[in-house]
Formats: sequence, structure tokens, C-alpha cells
Amino acid sequence: MLNGIKEPVLIIEPTEGIVEKANKAAIDKLGLSVTGKTLNVPFKEEFMLVSNNGSAEETHIGFSANRINIAQKEYILAIGKACDSEQQLRVQLRNLEQERALQEMKTNFISMTSHEFRTPLTAIAAAVDLLETRIKMDSMMNAFYQQNILKISTEVFNLNTMLDEILTLSKIVSNNYEVNKTPVNAVKVIDYLNYQYFSERKDERRLEVKVVGEPRKIPVDKDQFSKILTNLISNAFKYSTHENPQIKLHYHAHKLVISISDHGIGIPQKDIPHLFNSFYRGSNVDGIDGTGLGLAIVKTFTEMNDGEIKVTSEKGKGTKFSLTFRYA
Amino acid sequence: MNRTILLIEDKPALTDTLKTLLELHEFNVLTASNGEEGVAHARQHHPDLVISDIFMPVINGYELLEIFKKDSQLRNIPVLMLTAKTAIEEINLAMKKGAAGYVTKPFLFRNLHATITKLIL
Repeated sequence: MLNGIKEPVLIIEPTEGIVEKANKAAIDKLGLSVTGKTLNVPFKEEFMLVSNNGSAEETHIGFSANRINIAQKEYILAIGKACDSEQQLRVQLRNLEQERALQEMKTNFISMTSHEFRTPLTAIAAAVDLLETRIKMDSMMNAFYQQNILKISTEVFNLNTMLDEILTLSKIVSNNYEVNKTPVNAVKVIDYLNYQYFSERKDERRLEVKVVGEPRKIPVDKDQFSKILTNLISNAFKYSTHENPQIKLHYHAHKLVISISDHGIGIPQKDIPHLFNSFYRGSNVDGIDGTGLGLAIVKTFTEMNDGEIKVTSEKGKGTKFSLTFRYA
Repeated sequence: MNRTILLIEDKPALTDTLKTLLELHEFNVLTASNGEEGVAHARQHHPDLVISDIFMPVINGYELLEIFKKDSQLRNIPVLMLTAKTAIEEINLAMKKGAAGYVTKPFLFRNLHATITKLIL
């Protein structure tokens, strides 16, 4: 029966480590003398044997061991898989380590530069604010100044968002994120984000917050949860122009559903399946800036926190993203 | 009477602009380019509010907050943090150490102004 298996299989008597039986594939690789031989390697979990079938190139066979009972006696069933020579494995391991070090260097570099970029960006934003204040005080403000000042200021913040996204994604790619779940009050997080990032907007729009049901805490990583919400709320403002975006927290019996909706440009049906891919952007974004990284980050973080994300949208009408998190 | 704000920030490009902006909004402004200088100015002038960066030389923002909390003369002066860090953990740490509020860089002045108004007017 064992001969029907393509991989080398050994049945080992566990007390002495004697190979009692070997299938055809094992004999082909290890030679006929394999049976009856006492193994000189630890064989209870995973072990490696060198092939001895007369060919010049020696191959290593990695075996994984499982306990089985045959006729009420315990044996070890070891199933093998040919692998490259040990030398090659070492080279591969070294390459992997180098790659990891390089990836870490890249992440550190991106982290450092994105931090350094904030300094000039902050100075530019403040200088624009100062110009605007001064022009207003001198009663010289007109539509031309207003429009161009707004343009500089908007682009500064767009650039800042891009930096955030690149930094976050580079951390995700290098597996630098741990999920640190704690009980989080979602209403409080939203109030805080709303005050910090979405109040005092130049276009006077605001985020409408609605809570349904009895608020309960959800187990999520607070930082990642905030990034998910900041991203979706920013999008709701970015892809709509006149009406206020809305966020609704609906506390059900076992789960919290958070929906963020806007009355903006919407997403064409054909783009929806690709929406969460990195660098993918809807075909109707036209002049609206973005990296195409935001939703990829949102989806990664949502899944890392055992949440679900859904989107419904109609072109020209608006978009609604729904997040679902269970209480425990 | 105009309120006095002590601005502690190590980037001169930002300090100058922000000082002018605050003065145009009728605040008296003192400046310091690191935490140590900031603490000395605060002890000498008793400002109504301190606006401080977190990452700066000599004494950083967190250490500054600790010094303020231990000093009976400085304890009641609200400290508003300006920080390039948007990670919640770092903001939480600043709030835990007694910051009265914070604004992340880059910021819109109207946002900063609203926070200042909330704290001292």
C-alpha cells in the first residue's frame, strides 16, 4: 500500500529507531539498506536524511514524523520530501536574512524621511496662513488670492496624507505591524478624530455623527482603528463637494456596524472589485489627488483586527463603506 | 489685556511665521528654541499658555511636561503640544504626562487658534 505513495515513506520502530519498512520511493532515494537500519538522527518530529542511490549529486530529504498505531503498537510514520542540498539551503537562508535587513533599512529610511518632510510642510502651511491673514487685514483679499491660497494649502495637506500612506504601507509590507487589541470606545475615537482632523474646515462642511443603540467597546488596535476611520472619513470629504459626510455607529446585539457615507462622485461598478488593490484608483477620480494606497491600508488593518469591510456605491450619487466589528 | 504665549520650537522657519501669526491675532509671544530655554522663560515670565514641540534638543516635550508638573509655579500653565507624530500612542503619552491639548503638524492656523481659544480665552 505504501508503494502507491509518491513521496518516500518510512515506518520506524520508536524505541530503538529501527526502520521497519520503507516504500519504493524511499528505497529508490535511500538505497535498499535503509530497512533494518538504526537511524542516527532524532526522528520524533522532523529530520533529514541524505540520499544514497549511487548518483553523483546527493540530495537531502526532509521527513516529517507522525505517531501511528499498527496492530496496537506505536510506530513513527515519516513522510519525506526531497529538498536541495544543505549548502543551497544555507545560501537561501542568508539571502532571506539580507533581504529582511534591507527591508528594515527601507522602512526606517521611509519613516525618517516622512518625518523630516513634515518640517518644511508645516512651515509652508503656516506661511500660507500668515499670507492669508495679512492680506485679509490689509483688505486686499479677492477671489484670485483666495483661490490660489486655498490651492497651496490643499496640496500641502495632500502631500502630508501621501507621506502618511507611504509610511503605513511600507510598515505593512515589512510586517512591522503588530495588532495590539484593547477594548476601544468607538464613539470616543470618532469624537477625537472629528475634532482633530475634520473640524474647522475651510469649506465649512462638517462630519455628521449618528449613534444607534447602546455603545459597547470593541476589541481593536486603537491606532489602526483610527487610521481606518481617518482614511474613510477623509475620502468621504475628498470625493464629495457640497453635502456633509455622515458616520453612523449602529450597535447591534453582537456587533458594531460603522457606516461612512457621502453624496459624492461615487465609484463606477467596474472599479469596485479592484478598489482595495494598492495603487488602484477609480476611473472617475479625474483631478482629485491620491495615491491609491488608502483603501489597501484600510482593508489590511480591518482584516488584521478581525473586522469586515463592504462598499456600496453609485456613480454620481455617493458611496457608503460599512465596517463590522464583533464585541468579542 | 493681551495674553502671553510662550512658543518652544527648534525650527526657526516655523517659529518666525507662527510668532507673527499669533501676534496678528493679538497675543504677546515669547520664543525659545529648546526645552531648557523654554522652562527658564516660563519661570521668568509666567505665560498664560505654552505651545511646545515634542521632538527637540536638550529637553524634549515629554521631559518638559514632567518638569512643569513638578514645579508649583508652572503646574497651572496649560501646555499645548505641537507634534509631527500622528501615532495615537505618542499623543496619549503626552496627554498622560499632563499636556492640555495638542495639534499635529502640519496644521491649519485656524485649527491651532481654535485650540488656543478653548484653553485660555
